[in-house]
Amino acid sequence: MKKIAIFGYNLRSFEAISRLDQNLYDLLIVEPDSSLAALAEEKGYKTALIDFRSDEALNSIGLGKDIEIIFCFLPEDSENVFLTLSARALDQNLNIIAIVDTAQSAEKLIAAGANKIIDPYQICGQKIHELITKPDIANIIDHTVFGRNDLHVAEILIPENSYLDNTFTSELTLNEKHNLVLLGIVDKELGDDLHFSIGEKDHKLDPGDIIVVMGPSREIKAFKKEVEYVQSNKI
Amino acid sequence: MLARIIVYFCYFLKTSDRYRQTKRFFYDLLENPQSKMKSYFDVFMICLVMLSVFFLVYSVEHTLNTTGEFFEQVVVFIFISEYLLRAWLFSDSHQIIIKEYEKTEYLNIRFNLLNTLRLVFAKKLEYMLSLFAIIDLLAILPSYRPLRILRILLIFRMFKLFRYSNSIKVFADVLASKRFELITLAIFMGFLVFISSIAIYLFENNSSGGNVRHLYDAFYWSIVTISTVGYGDITPITFGGRLVAITLILTGLGVLAFFTSIIVAAFSDKMHTLRENRTYAELSRYNDFIIICGFGRVGQEVAKQFKKDQQAFVIIDKDEHNIFLAKEQQFLAIHDDASINAVLINAGINNGATAVLCTTGNDVINVYITLTSRYLNPEINIISRANRQDNVSKLYQAGANTVIQPFEIAGLLAAEYIGQPVAFEAILGILQDQKQISMETLIVQPNCLLEKQKIGKLDFENRKLMLVGVISTNQKHRKHRNRYKVKNQHFYFNPEQNFELQEQDILVVLGRKYSIEYFQDQIKKSSLNIGS
Repeated sequence: MKKIAIFGYNLRSFEAISRLDQNLYDLLIVEPDSSLAALAEEKGYKTALIDFRSDEALNSIGLGKDIEIIFCFLPEDSENVFLTLSARALDQNLNIIAIVDTAQSAEKLIAAGANKIIDPYQICGQKIHELITKPDIANIIDHTVFGRNDLHVAEILIPENSYLDNTFTSELTLNEKHNLVLLGIVDKELGDDLHFSIGEKDHKLDPGDIIVVMGPSREIKAFKKEVEYVQSNKI
Repeated sequence: MLARIIVYFCYFLKTSDRYRQTKRFFYDLLENPQSKMKSYFDVFMICLVMLSVFFLVYSVEHTLNTTGEFFEQVVVFIFISEYLLRAWLFSDSHQIIIKEYEKTEYLNIRFNLLNTLRLVFAKKLEYMLSLFAIIDLLAILPSYRPLRILRILLIFRMFKLFRYSNSIKVFADVLASKRFELITLAIFMGFLVFISSIAIYLFENNSSGGNVRHLYDAFYWSIVTISTVGYGDITPITFGGRLVAITLILTGLGVLAFFTSIIVAAFSDKMHTLRENRTYAELSRYNDFIIICGFGRVGQEVAKQFKKDQQAFVIIDKDEHNIFLAKEQQFLAIHDDASINAVLINAGINNGATAVLCTTGNDVINVYITLTSRYLNPEINIISRANRQDNVSKLYQAGANTVIQPFEIAGLLAAEYIGQPVAFEAILGILQDQKQISMETLIVQPNCLLEKQKIGKLDFENRKLMLVGVISTNQKHRKHRNRYKVKNQHFYFNPEQNFELQEQDILVVLGRKYSIEYFQDQIKKSSLNIGS
């Protein structure tokens, strides 16, 4: 079970916390403010009331030991930058995801060592723009990506000895066999970039490649199972 | 009998479409500040006046040849037509007559033609006595031969220039707004000039050995001195005269500084409104623009996107710094409170705006703006931002069509990134149109190559596109699987091979921009070909 520390219990983090599956992840809320920490505790989350400015305190909650991922959701960009810097110094392999307030802070956070920056205002602005220019697409994305309906986007790793090994993407015909749409593929032979499957290139699937599919959750689960089942059978 | 004919004629004019259209045409040409024709006409008249003044200056030392004479006559003809047309446009005489006639009919008294005509004439006289009409008339009169003596009045042609630009009106407005200060100053200056004129006359008259011959000279000297111009053609020589001069110069400096400061202050007060008026004028040219309320981070991002699309928009924000930022990027911006009805009306919520975006960081303000906008325009598309989950329902209640939560999307993406980093990239790629790949809609137009086609027959792969689904309201598709309700239509995800497309269905495809555009063109072309 991956251990995740979420810094800041506030408006910005509520949604992310509620979206994280507690069966998959071990969540720890870290909050410097005692009243907010109490609130998180009340909600039943594991909570730590510490001052993030001290390395010792960070160590005490397990940073640099068993925590694999941290979310920096503190209210000020400067606090997030500070936290990112301290956390990166404590653990080189930590996965750090930070939220930013102003556009300039994004670069600073990257420089401080964050792995992923999320700019809620930018995304929101783009969403509003899309709602005006392409309302139908915006609705579809709401229903697929944002899970308002049963449709989801999922990624599937091709395991060793999979029956999909050595097949070409054109041979998959997921839309006929599994009622899924193949959105894209990460072909490890070509690097870590995602290639959208829009008929430009036929990729050969190898172990370690990742395919991204869209479809009803039941079909996604079934397909995932199929891919993994074949693997365990062969071993 | 005559009265009857006139009244009959008036009713005829009232019902005549052609008369109305003609009048409308000349109104657009001469008076309507919104019309394009007027601006062309104004430029034309300015050129004409300039040319005629040029001929006038030329004729001071030369005699005009026949071409010049002819030109002068054409100019005068145009001026006279303009004068008469304006007099005609000023009031609707037939309406006055009809009104009077109907009044007498109602009261059952005799219709007095003479009285009525007097009313009509009074109205026209009102026009003739207006400042601009007098200038117009004075610009024409000197061309009449017996009145050649008045040639000097041709100077008035230059005043005509003011008619064709707004500058004089703006200046008059500015002066009018500072009426009290200016009157105070004028009275003070009047006293000052009066006292100094008398004083200088007493000290410097001819009999005392000075240069001031009479009171007019004294007045002239006072004005020249108080304004700190000081030509020096009349100079005081006596001790008393010089003392008057010193006092007058020092007070003059004060008066001048005071006057300048009044004018400057008036202009800077007015500047804000002037600029705002320019924004409104520019907005009135568009008939499809978007009102963005709040130029915070979200507003800035939206504005950036619209700028890329060349979509017209206007920003309303209460915060001075935000307005400064917007103006710096040359966006149309209004520094005002968007929750005030008048501000939204002026911005054109009922006049060309297609959507209102409430993007302030304060949910209370967003709800208020949403409510105001919905009240002012029940049809308009309102998209509002909510920062707290509990306010989403309030915004919908206030009338928003769509509510967006920045932190919800961010939280969702953050969670997605942890579990499925690759899927996250795919989603972000689609959301942000990265790598020129985007999701677009294609509408099945009547008679186009898609209509009545089976999905299996359309080779999307070959077109370098990927079909995600079809949006439709058509009942025929109901039997197909993967049907999802999206707003008031259905989304058919991954339609089967035998899915038959119907008119007005919408295909949702993923692909590079140019493959989508190319396919779109093909659809359009095919619908035109078969149709013709």
